[in-house]
Amino acid sequence: MKQKGKLIKIAGWILFLFAFGFFCLQMGYLFAHERFQVEYIDNRLFYLINISCVICLSLAIFLLLTLTKKWKWIGTGVVIVFIIVNGVLLTFSNQEVKNITSISPNFKQVLSIKENIESGNAVYYRSYYGILARPQEKLPYVTDGEFQVEWLANDVAAVTYKAADNTIHQFIGTYGDRGTGRSYYYVGAEIHGRWKGNNAEVVSNTEGITVTQNGKTELFEWDNIVQFGTLAVVLMKNNEAAWTIALNENFQMHSNSAIPPSGEISLYQATMEKNKPIILQNTTSN
Amino acid sequence: MKKLVVSVASIMKIGLIIAIILYQKPTTITQLHPDQTIDEQENQESLNDAEKPKTELLQPIHIDDPITYSLQNDELNITFDKGSNWITVPVEKDQLFDGEYNGNKRELIEVSYVLTQNRAAFLYSDGMDWDNKRILLTYSLDQGKTWKESVVTKPFPAMRFRKVDFLNDKFGYVIISGGRTMSQEFSTVFLTHDGGESWEETTNSGVTRLISDGGFIDETTGFLSFGTINPEEPDLYVTQDAGNTWTEAKVNIPAEYKEIFVQAEVPVKEGGYLAVLINQGPNGDYKGGKVKGKFISKDNGKTWEFQVEVNPNETEG
Repeated sequence: MKQKGKLIKIAGWILFLFAFGFFCLQMGYLFAHERFQVEYIDNRLFYLINISCVICLSLAIFLLLTLTKKWKWIGTGVVIVFIIVNGVLLTFSNQEVKNITSISPNFKQVLSIKENIESGNAVYYRSYYGILARPQEKLPYVTDGEFQVEWLANDVAAVTYKAADNTIHQFIGTYGDRGTGRSYYYVGAEIHGRWKGNNAEVVSNTEGITVTQNGKTELFEWDNIVQFGTLAVVLMKNNEAAWTIALNENFQMHSNSAIPPSGEISLYQATMEKNKPIILQNTTSN
Repeated sequence: MKKLVVSVASIMKIGLIIAIILYQKPTTITQLHPDQTIDEQENQESLNDAEKPKTELLQPIHIDDPITYSLQNDELNITFDKGSNWITVPVEKDQLFDGEYNGNKRELIEVSYVLTQNRAAFLYSDGMDWDNKRILLTYSLDQGKTWKESVVTKPFPAMRFRKVDFLNDKFGYVIISGGRTMSQEFSTVFLTHDGGESWEETTNSGVTRLISDGGFIDETTGFLSFGTINPEEPDLYVTQDAGNTWTEAKVNIPAEYKEIFVQAEVPVKEGGYLAVLINQGPNGDYKGGKVKGKFISKDNGKTWEFQVEVNPNETEG
């Protein structure tokens, strides 16, 4: 019996510590938010942490202290009201600002986009320490709220979205580099040559990038090619995104133009329907 | 004990309630960098929310640094007090990225500027013609109260590599490259001895490989490192007479590190000798690709001997 009492006390203190930890996290967050303009990667996290904190705290009190029936009822009431309020605010917050959060396949990067539902403005956030984020840039077109996220590599996320005027656009979040990280390079120039994959072909030359899929060939001139970071380009046609080409992790470039690059690239179609990237290999002969 | 638990718990509850109230205030996601100035976006924006204010609240780009800048609202603003007061730099944002640069325009090109307590200096170019540009330095020595513009050189082709730095109040250098065709280009070094007012070009090194870095460690000794994308051995040039002559430094790479340490960084003074880190270039895979070789020189940069392998964690602060 005594042993059991001791265990309960330990559990109580552990819960109390958890609650205190959550509390410190929230306070730290408010400070960081005010001072460094950081936000939680998903706005709803704030309420979820609040709820977790209060649940841990009340369980800790139940386990650590002997309460009279009256106080038990009051305590439970307060906790329930608190949870309901947080739940309601959480729902409202998501109606105001829609969070699009996606974790990379290797769990190292988090893509976060927050969309102001009323205005249709969406903002790309860069993540820090997994749960915090800072606004990085506004998506160039006002969206209609539909987003599709596909990770083309562990450090390249393609976000396809529809603008308010029904045109399709792609935004690429990149979190890495295939060079030294010290110098900038052009993706289009690095993939110079002929690339082939399942039913698709990409040719990058001085005119632009030509994409052939299922027998249909389209040329995208360099003026219509937008680079993101140092890992991907989006090919545009009539002010709409048509394709994204991303460098895969095994892609290696060589400055000597006689040696074609090695590794693979991904070709990903800009469409709101679910589709998978096509992997292409270099077929330029020496 | 009971009192302690109850009081801590009450403080936490009250704290959380206050937090919720505070959190309700700023659920905006609008204070942003307006960098993707694609024309269509601007058109679309002006169509969609015409009444939206055009200017945005400036946010420092490096939040921990009191002296920093912002490129919001299509202009360069600098602050010396973490963003409480902003000074607009009289340079157009596009000029700062003019030339052979297609990267992100949210942040200034690394090493293309100096921003310290005593000096703010920005290297850029202007001119419509791709082969005929002016390379300019706009600088202020009184935290932005007054600005001066000096011409580093003209005409110059569109810049690729660009670096400016000052070693003291008077002496500074600019290293620029341009006119790239495939993997060949022209690179050159300018020195100032009057704090940036006038610039003189040094003798050309004659090397046409793509420059990867360079710098001076004192008023006479400078280095240029070549080979950017797939170098096979370090290509380091040194001057010991303020750029009158450039000679290729001899880097004695032990046999086991041949074709492993291939790209020299800028040497630094260390005690009575010079030290340089030679990295593995973009395709290095020796011990994960990040380990660098530290070489030292006892003859002011002419010959270099291997000293030790350096772990990236020790070299990247």
